[in-house]
Amino acid sequence: MRKWLTGVIGLILLTPGCEKDDICDEFARTTPRLIISFYDFENANNLRTVNALEIIGDGAEAPLGVFSGVNRIELPLRTTDDVTRYRFRLNSNNEAADNIDFIEFNYARQDVYISRACGYKTLFRLADVGGVVLTDATPSDALWIKSFTLNTLTIDNEDETHLSIYF
Amino acid sequence: MKMKRTFLFIFSLLVGAVAAQEKQVSDSATVKTERYGIRIGADLYRAGRSAFDSRYKGFELVADYRLTRRFWLAAELGNESVDSDEEQLDFTTRGSYLKAGFDYNCYENWLDMENVISIGLRYGFSTFSHTLRNYEIYNPNPYFGEAAPVAVNREFDALNASWLEVVAGVKVEVFDNIFVGFSARLNYLISDKKPDNFDNLYIPGFNRTYESKFGVGLNYTLTYFIPIYKAAVK
Repeated sequence: MRKWLTGVIGLILLTPGCEKDDICDEFARTTPRLIISFYDFENANNLRTVNALEIIGDGAEAPLGVFSGVNRIELPLRTTDDVTRYRFRLNSNNEAADNIDFIEFNYARQDVYISRACGYKTLFRLADVGGVVLTDATPSDALWIKSFTLNTLTIDNEDETHLSIYF
Repeated sequence: MKMKRTFLFIFSLLVGAVAAQEKQVSDSATVKTERYGIRIGADLYRAGRSAFDSRYKGFELVADYRLTRRFWLAAELGNESVDSDEEQLDFTTRGSYLKAGFDYNCYENWLDMENVISIGLRYGFSTFSHTLRNYEIYNPNPYFGEAAPVAVNREFDALNASWLEVVAGVKVEVFDNIFVGFSARLNYLISDKKPDNFDNLYIPGFNRTYESKFGVGLNYTLTYFIPIYKAAVK
């Protein structure tokens, strides 16, 4: 009986020490970014890499990045507003050949509970009409983005391409 | 048995009792009786925490009734209001709970002492609500800057939970009929009604929840024993 008692007390003391749910797991599915894949306009099945594509969000302090040799980028959307607008400047390393287009995302937000450590995440649903708006720079330098396809309205993970851009 | 008696003998000397009393134990000719009754009291741990921790208000009343020589029916009744301020979440849980079950006294008392070393089981049930004051959005890519916590002040009510507790406890009679006790509990959650788009991170009576169904608890009790009748030890 006494051994049993010792065992139970031991178990009580040991159990909580084994759990670590105070730190948000880096692999947890948290607030997703919008995934863009770039395709060749002439041959729509082929992915195409961008050259010196500088991306800046409206209101952001610094460019998101200058992307070269990639055909997939991840765009953070604002979690405090229903609109996020980005400037896409292709060939940013060449003043003579650069071209600026804008893409505006309009969406509704939903905050979804994750866990004690992670709190909540924001999921996005692009508007049925005008969810993605492509505009040229002023003065116009012609659109370098020839067309785009929206694969889903729901942005709730980073596993799939949400927006395909053809150029 | 011989060793035990020797131990008792030495112990009685240490305590300062008269060595001659040891005779009483070994003398089986006299009929030994034990007292039966109900013990009532309160948890000092929750009372103390209420006094010193501004984020906690709560109490727990405890009672047990001696059913047989070794078995006691036992129950705890409590109410808690607990503020939890996590990294990403700030909320208050309020609710009441009732635990009922039994304790088995494993301790062989000597002389007419009535101390308890027990192992027991409880079924616990709680009804409660959470008020989520604000939460933070976990955003691993805060390109547009860290967002401020979102104030919601949303109440999730009509929640409940049930669980089992394995209880290991000690009770010592410090004055006539007055006992102090300590118990440690290992809880196993059976069911809980979860709030929509939130979780039961704290359950009154069960305490903090974990990813698994286990939890822990404790109390320090001060109880008063009300004797009802005496029965001979068989």
